Amino acid sequence: MTSAVTSGVAALINDRDTTKVLVTTDASGVPHAAVTDFVQCGEDGRILYFEPLESSVANRNLTASIWFDRQVSIALRTPADERFHIGARPLRALVAGPAFQRHYDAFRARFGDLDLATVWVLQPERVDDQDFEQARRRQAEDRPFFQHLDRIARHASP
Amino acid sequence: MGFAQLKDVAPGRREFNETVSGHPDFPQLIALKIDVQRRGVHYTDQALSMVDAEIHQLRSANIFGTRDAVLRPQLPDSLLLRDGTSIVVDPSPLDHDPYFVDLIDGRLFLVDAGEVLEEVDLWHKPRFYDKFTRSGIPMNLVAQARPQRINLFLSSYCHFWAKDDGGCKFCDIVNFGKQQKSIFAGKPNRPRPADIAETVREALRERGRFTTFCITGGSVLKGGELFDVEVSHYIETLQAIGENFSTRKFPSQIVASAFNERQLSRLYEETGLSSYTTDLEVLDERLFQWICPGKAEHVGYKEWRSRLIRAVDIFGRGYVNTGIVGGIELARPHGFRTEAEGLARTLDEAEFLAENGVSTIHTVWVPRPGSTFGDQTAPSLDYYIRLAKGLHALRVKYRLRVDFDDYRRCGNHPDTDLARLL
Ligand code: SF4
Repeated sequence: MTSAVTSGVAALINDRDTTKVLVTTDASGVPHAAVTDFVQCGEDGRILYFEPLESSVANRNLTASIWFDRQVSIALRTPADERFHIGARPLRALVAGPAFQRHYDAFRARFGDLDLATVWVLQPERVDDQDFEQARRRQAEDRPFFQHLDRIARHASP
Repeated sequence: MGFAQLKDVAPGRREFNETVSGHPDFPQLIALKIDVQRRGVHYTDQALSMVDAEIHQLRSANIFGTRDAVLRPQLPDSLLLRDGTSIVVDPSPLDHDPYFVDLIDGRLFLVDAGEVLEEVDLWHKPRFYDKFTRSGIPMNLVAQARPQRINLFLSSYCHFWAKDDGGCKFCDIVNFGKQQKSIFAGKPNRPRPADIAETVREALRERGRFTTFCITGGSVLKGGELFDVEVSHYIETLQAIGENFSTRKFPSQIVASAFNERQLSRLYEETGLSSYTTDLEVLDERLFQWICPGKAEHVGYKEWRSRLIRAVDIFGRGYVNTGIVGGIELARPHGFRTEAEGLARTLDEAEFLAENGVSTIHTVWVPRPGSTFGDQTAPSLDYYIRLAKGLHALRVKYRLRVDFDDYRRCGNHPDTDLARLL
């Protein structure tokens, strides 16, 4: 399966200075967002989310997502203020085995004395460029009803 | 046997699909695990061609036996699903309608009636399996592994078996112990503390490999008070393990007899033990007397239950549980006549225990040839889904954790797999 993530977006995910927000939902659909440093894009275009806390809301919600086949989202904001949204689906939860142990060592080498509960393998399904200026222009052109009249009045009130 | 032949008949597949469609709120991966445990597995020759004894964990020394009375140590131990769920499962004879594990494009899949269902991983062998203690014992005969847990079996003999018909009727510990003797010839009857300490030290060298210990064995009735000798065995084992830790307590579980408060306090105070399990096996006094005659005679149902509840004062809420062999309450001829009755009675009693801080966890009953109930059949998949859901709902209602016996620290209880959502 080819990934929806281009190499450019993959590089942004792997840039430590990019802010990443992981959005998940619980079994009843209640959303949860968490800013995280623990997201990485692999060479195969899949996203890895390293969860240090077995008891975190994100870990629970990702479990619900893999069980009930639901999407999660990752929002990115780069230092240059580029913004992206990635819709993905959990494919696999690595909790044991040689691959898990390799990630365990690498994770601890990078982040110090943290545990590693799960490596979530996420399959990206869509990437949306969320450049605000572009979105604003697009709406102004395509959806002319979506504005307040005072903004286009001849004599705008001060 | 070709899959095409199976396709026309596949009642198992029909039951699975009909059952899971009736439980949209229950994870299909856990339903699949239950069903694989109910029916067992058959590894195709192609699947076995990629099993590598250097990498994969083959069937290790164990406490309870096989489903076909033949121990084949060259077969893989068990399986992992893609969500991290363990399926602790034995190979099953073909006439028991097992799931197949087959090799497709270089990867292993569960296959049923020709339908490719889910990719599976084999368990990986821990590094300590290839090492020897200074006394010359292979470490894999001192301790055994699950994907994230170290198991220690203190004995393959249960003193309830000393009397005819004293052992639990679903249990094959003694018969299986004899069978294992020829295969795992160097296995000590009870591992020595020095060998345990050394094996654990070696196991802990492998980073990210283990999260807990489970220590168990048959009941030992001897001592000044009933079970005193068994308690001493656990204490010396836990102390040997504890030599390897910088903390006083470490994640650990014993699955043992029903100890009194003095014995439990000793275990808590003198060792690093952090949780306690003693199995009622069946949550009904009348059936307990029939199915577990040794336990009934020496302790009794009500006293066993009350020892569990008293253990909560020592180990804390969420750190004491009792195991039941799910489905045994329907055993013939004295079990409940309907699944509805069996479920209602079991959940009712589990609720009483939960109110008192004790969790109930279930296994999937595998009628083993070496047990009195060897020729019986386990109940339906629907029954197990309702049982797992019911026990999980009690933990939600009474805010009971079961961290020490969950999907990762054990992996043999469908109901505690659901605790990943707690
Ligand atoms: S107490 Fe019962 S289940 Fe446990 S080992 Fe003895 S006979 Fe088997």
